[in-house]
Amino acid sequence: MFYIHHTACISPQQSFLQVDLERLRESVNNQLRVIEPDYNGIPPGLLRRMGKAVKIGVGAALSVLQEQTAPDGIIIGTANGGMEDCIKFLNQIIEYDEGILAPGNFVQSTTNAIASQLGLLTRNKSYNVTHVHRGLAFENAMTDAAMMIAENPSMNFLVGAVDEISTYNYNIDYLDGWYKKQPTSNVDLYETQTEGSLAGEGAAMFLVNANPESALARVKAVYCLHTEDERVVAAGLRQFIATHSPGQPIDWLVSGENGDRRLNRYYEACEKVLDEDTGICRFKHMSGEFPTASAMALWIACYMLREETIPRHMIKRASGHTKVRNVLIYNNFKSLQHSFMLVT
Amino acid sequence: MSRIFVTGMGIISAIGENVAANRWSLKQGVCGITTLGLFPSKYSGVLPCGEIKLDTQSLREKLKAREPGMTRTSLLARHAFEEAVQDAEMTTAMISAPDTALVSATTVGGMCLTDELYHDAHRESNGSVYLSSYDCGSVAIDLQKHFRLSGLINTINTACSSSANAIMYGARLIKHGKARRAIVGGVDSLSKFTLNGFNALHILSHEICQPFDRDRKGLNLGEAAAFLVLEKEEDITNRKVYSELTGYGNANDSYHPSSLSDEGEGPYLSMKEALAMAKLEPGDIGFVNAHGTGTENNDASESQAMIRLFGKPPAFASTKSNTGHTLGAAGAVEAVYATLNLLYQEAYASLHFEVAIEGTALEPIQDYTSMPIRHIMSNSFGFGGNCSSLIFSKA
Amino acid sequence: METAELKQQLKKQIVEFLNLSVKPEDIKDKEPLFGEGLGLDSIDSIELIVLLSREYGITIQDPKEGRKVLVDIDTMVEYIEKNRTK
Repeated sequence: MFYIHHTACISPQQSFLQVDLERLRESVNNQLRVIEPDYNGIPPGLLRRMGKAVKIGVGAALSVLQEQTAPDGIIIGTANGGMEDCIKFLNQIIEYDEGILAPGNFVQSTTNAIASQLGLLTRNKSYNVTHVHRGLAFENAMTDAAMMIAENPSMNFLVGAVDEISTYNYNIDYLDGWYKKQPTSNVDLYETQTEGSLAGEGAAMFLVNANPESALARVKAVYCLHTEDERVVAAGLRQFIATHSPGQPIDWLVSGENGDRRLNRYYEACEKVLDEDTGICRFKHMSGEFPTASAMALWIACYMLREETIPRHMIKRASGHTKVRNVLIYNNFKSLQHSFMLVT
Repeated sequence: MSRIFVTGMGIISAIGENVAANRWSLKQGVCGITTLGLFPSKYSGVLPCGEIKLDTQSLREKLKAREPGMTRTSLLARHAFEEAVQDAEMTTAMISAPDTALVSATTVGGMCLTDELYHDAHRESNGSVYLSSYDCGSVAIDLQKHFRLSGLINTINTACSSSANAIMYGARLIKHGKARRAIVGGVDSLSKFTLNGFNALHILSHEICQPFDRDRKGLNLGEAAAFLVLEKEEDITNRKVYSELTGYGNANDSYHPSSLSDEGEGPYLSMKEALAMAKLEPGDIGFVNAHGTGTENNDASESQAMIRLFGKPPAFASTKSNTGHTLGAAGAVEAVYATLNLLYQEAYASLHFEVAIEGTALEPIQDYTSMPIRHIMSNSFGFGGNCSSLIFSKA
Repeated sequence: METAELKQQLKKQIVEFLNLSVKPEDIKDKEPLFGEGLGLDSIDSIELIVLLSREYGITIQDPKEGRKVLVDIDTMVEYIEKNRTK
């Protein structure tokens, strides 16, 4: 598919600029909110309008782009875009009874606001697209990037994803049963035997191309499924490994297990497919649950491949392999959507 | 890489509930833009909109859609999707095959239910049945569940160019061997949210829109759903073929969050890219289905881009003068109309035009015309500078 | 309200409404709001029209007409004093 050369992640953990994943930052009120950086690269005139999703998306992307010439395309995945701005505009509609309304929130609320602000900031007139397919928004962005690179092997693309916790989105997903009803800490997220997970947010951006030299990591394959049958998921995983990693053992599974007991069956089914030697580590206690959390999983996979280490709090089962070479990411979102990524 | 053809289409818009009805209306110069009748809003009876003349309950009954949580957007999508797959003679097995992809587009999603969204977002009760129906992805997910789709599924939102990008993406999935066939398109329904959003930006006209007219005052919103079935040449035997998707382009204007540059740089680049891919010269384009929203900014910018590219632009029209601006559905709606132009070798009148924009001398076609067309370009330019162009050629 | 006080109030309102990073007291009375100076754009001009409506009860229908008023703080204050209904 492609090679990753630069990456940045703004998340609830110390993942941006000075990276320290060993120390786990704890959730507050069942939420894991990002550590926001100084947005030095964003001109105040643009920054003042941006909601958090746009800020962290743009912030992470600018960090990735700083050493590069302009990318040949900007491909972003986000399920909810500027949801906070969306609801602020909605509030105006209701409060002022469809009267005279200020349009700023409306303009910033569109899901393509992140990609378009990036295009504006970097004066980039090239390919610009936003994928919004809920829990597979990032995976679709990656597939798009892979196709663009196959069509244009000398080009570089910025691909990434972002979603934010907005009070309103939290309410909707809370009512829909996706977040814990009881006070829960991320420290023992996986021990809870209750429904729902913790709310999270984050942005992860990657500069990718077809050049293996000095690459941080290689994304070999991505596969997506819509099903609520764990047997179909397991069969899909078996096929995925047979096709893309034949004869090469998986060193680590980066699992999107999120503490929601209703979803455990998918992760159990996938774990059964893997060798006993494959290590299993989890990341949702670091990121929280949100539609594009798999982008942070990819960032973590790059970290693991580079550092050849896994923070202790992530490990569910140790790996029988000493090296970190073949990493498989499996993520599930709201039961129906599944993705596998193979990263080496 | 494979050649990509359109083998099926489905559409529901303010000017008809299927492809045949839309064509009839286009030929007759029917304007589907009226003052709102069915829509709960302060602007009911005030703002002209391209409203589909079928209320949501009737739509639900017509489709026998009994699932709770189906929004108007999802219902419209299902309506057009069904027509498209039937038109392409797809069997149930083909529809739900793992090599059939769905690429949908929408800007509104379930936010057409503005009041319900407000109440749920503020947690004013235990939650409506629409909790999982608000996001853009919900529409494609509803289609996935109903039709048991098992292939690649995606949703794109790049504002007004969304479904044009969905069409491109579907074609590329086929070319790269990630799908054998792709059902591509988009949908948007009228919503208090977008109505008020565009009105707040002062780009909504309180009169019928006048694309490319000197005195144009803004756009009229519309609602629609349109899907096309794309297949590769090798798979099409003994079945009808409507048109070939020969070129496409995507570029960013990179000028302003909600308006296009004066010289129409983004539009110019996307059109140029589409031509390059199709290996055509500007002079090969026989007709342009313009974005032509009727806003001061778009039509001026688009005119400049066309003049820069073509010198003397070919015959062109804006079908938004019939349907209103259908946002996420626009690219797909206009792809269907462009295919009709090619199939029947005809062009439809661009409505409500009187005087050209000063300094352009550009006049859209104003009468129904039988004309030979080999290649047609369809343009969609949106918020965020997202500009996309498609070229369809006679099959 | 005294003109000087109104100017102060307006500057504060503009900074809050448009989420500007400058301090109200740093906005000069004759500093152009658009282009040079404060560097506001077309979306801001619409937002300022909304501000005038909400805070001072002034309705400006056409943003183009609005730009003639929204030149700098002085012109805005002059307009408010003549036309306010709140």
